[in-house]
Amino acid sequence: MTSSLRRFAPLLALALLLVVPFLATDSYTRHLFIIAFIYAIVAANWNLSLGYCGVFNFGHLTFFGVGVYTAAIAAKTFGITPWLAIPLGGITAAGAAFLIAAPVARLKGIYVVLVTFAVSQLAMQLVLSQSQITGGGEGMVRIPFLQLGDYSFIRDFKFGYYYVALGLLVLSTLFLRFVVQSPFGKALLAVRDAQDYSTARGISVSRQRILVLVLSAIFTGIAGGFYAIYLRVASPEVFGFGTMSLVLSMVLLGGVGTLYGPIAAALALTFLTEALAGIQGFEEARFIVVAVVMVLILRLAPGGLVSLLDRLRPSRPAS
Amino acid sequence: MNSIVATLVSGILLGSLYALMASGLSVVWTTLGVFNFAHGALMMIGAYAAWTVSEGMGLGLLPGILAGVATAALCGIVIEYLLIRPFYGTRHMLLVTVMTTLAALIILEKGAQLIWGAKLKQLPRLVTGDVSIFGATISWHEAIIILLAPIVLLLLWRFTAMTNRGRSLRAVGQNQDAAALIGIDVPYAFAIAFGLAAALAGLTGALLGSIRFITPVMGSEPLVKAMIVVIFGGLGSLGATAGAAYVIGLLEAFLILWIGLYWTPFALFLLMIAVLIFRPNGLFGRA
Repeated sequence: MTSSLRRFAPLLALALLLVVPFLATDSYTRHLFIIAFIYAIVAANWNLSLGYCGVFNFGHLTFFGVGVYTAAIAAKTFGITPWLAIPLGGITAAGAAFLIAAPVARLKGIYVVLVTFAVSQLAMQLVLSQSQITGGGEGMVRIPFLQLGDYSFIRDFKFGYYYVALGLLVLSTLFLRFVVQSPFGKALLAVRDAQDYSTARGISVSRQRILVLVLSAIFTGIAGGFYAIYLRVASPEVFGFGTMSLVLSMVLLGGVGTLYGPIAAALALTFLTEALAGIQGFEEARFIVVAVVMVLILRLAPGGLVSLLDRLRPSRPAS
Repeated sequence: MNSIVATLVSGILLGSLYALMASGLSVVWTTLGVFNFAHGALMMIGAYAAWTVSEGMGLGLLPGILAGVATAALCGIVIEYLLIRPFYGTRHMLLVTVMTTLAALIILEKGAQLIWGAKLKQLPRLVTGDVSIFGATISWHEAIIILLAPIVLLLLWRFTAMTNRGRSLRAVGQNQDAAALIGIDVPYAFAIAFGLAAALAGLTGALLGSIRFITPVMGSEPLVKAMIVVIFGGLGSLGATAGAAYVIGLLEAFLILWIGLYWTPFALFLLMIAVLIFRPNGLFGRA
């Protein structure tokens, strides 16, 4: 019973999400869902490198930011259609991931954290200093939006954008499912759980890490590209601590090393933080709430909320 | 010629600040095996506390600096107690404490913004006026930082190498169980190490608050520089960290002279990557 429920729960959730725009007709609720879908893609892909592969990657938001600025510059400066600018973000993000991964693959422990983190700070400095290209601290505004013929996706209270975002989330999830269930995905778990043994069995750890970082960057960059086109702004905040802690708390809340956990957590936390932002004087303080939530998860349920649910059930081998 | 002397002096000034910052990271790392992402935020708290006592209450700069050091140390001890201690000995302690200290960084930064507001603040200088060193002019305040940093580092080194309490920190860092067996209070040693490092950060912040503006995010740039320093120097030894701090400070000053302010972070970063490819444990670190 529980196993068949597990199999069909994602499909059930998808069916529910497909009808949401017919129930929630105001553009604000739809906007929250769209933002949650974007964060869900970023969190789930971060989980691939952090949770499945065990790479201490703290620069995942760099890939997102690269996607944001690629799409923004491509669409606004070069006039490329947003339909192409968005996937372009995925390509440049994957390229950036490859450049970062090459040195990171050889490092161990805290040095991986330091280098990946320093990369994100460096990316932010690059954006701030090259203001004639990126708009500097002001960011870029009035980026072209999605259109199909004469139909603008902003119309009908973001009806079109909702389904584009949901479609990207579905594609990203199918992609992650494919990666995790492939022999490569099994090898990832093997290395994470028993590195010496897997190396002895012929798995190249550094090659694996490079591949994982590149794979996890693809949909993260595409999500970044969509984020820029959807919001029509690109600002250096995407590299900041605030965004990073928010997405990290989604990974932790959903459970490190699970496929759907971060997606559920992204939806929950987006609505929670937006609700908090609505309270007077909580615009900044909500990040404090997110940070406290993060510590509490680590303290009370290190496997995420999913692990709490599992604890209630009769024990079964971890999948 | 003049510009070279001026660059040397500004490089040594940067190096002094980086050494004060990075030595705190090193002390925490060698004792607890924790990399403290909130270190820059503790520096910022020190600067704000110094400002509140010195300017807000009008009690003067020296009490302000003392208050900054004390407040940062207190915050450090609280962070250790609430965010580090519960995770000792857990399987993913390194990764988990990176996340909890990141959480501490966000709480401190956003908290400071709520308490002190977004308006820029600045501390007065310890001594007004300028001093000329071989034709290069810097303020007396900066000269004091240059003189003070080696003294503080020397005291820190003497403490960890020569006193029983300082040696107990190193013992705990090397082997917690053995240290506990010979009667060292391990949790107390952790609190001391964290408090000491936070005090160093607070001192740096209070000194920097006279040269730069005090903002909630003032700690993030020095933290990244301190990270580059510890990557160069390795995290394991105080001497290597301090040496690397001066090397990076001088290098940064000369890179700014040669290739400009914008490209310096990249040059430093590429250099760091190059070092790590050939020496994964840092330039001066042991394999």
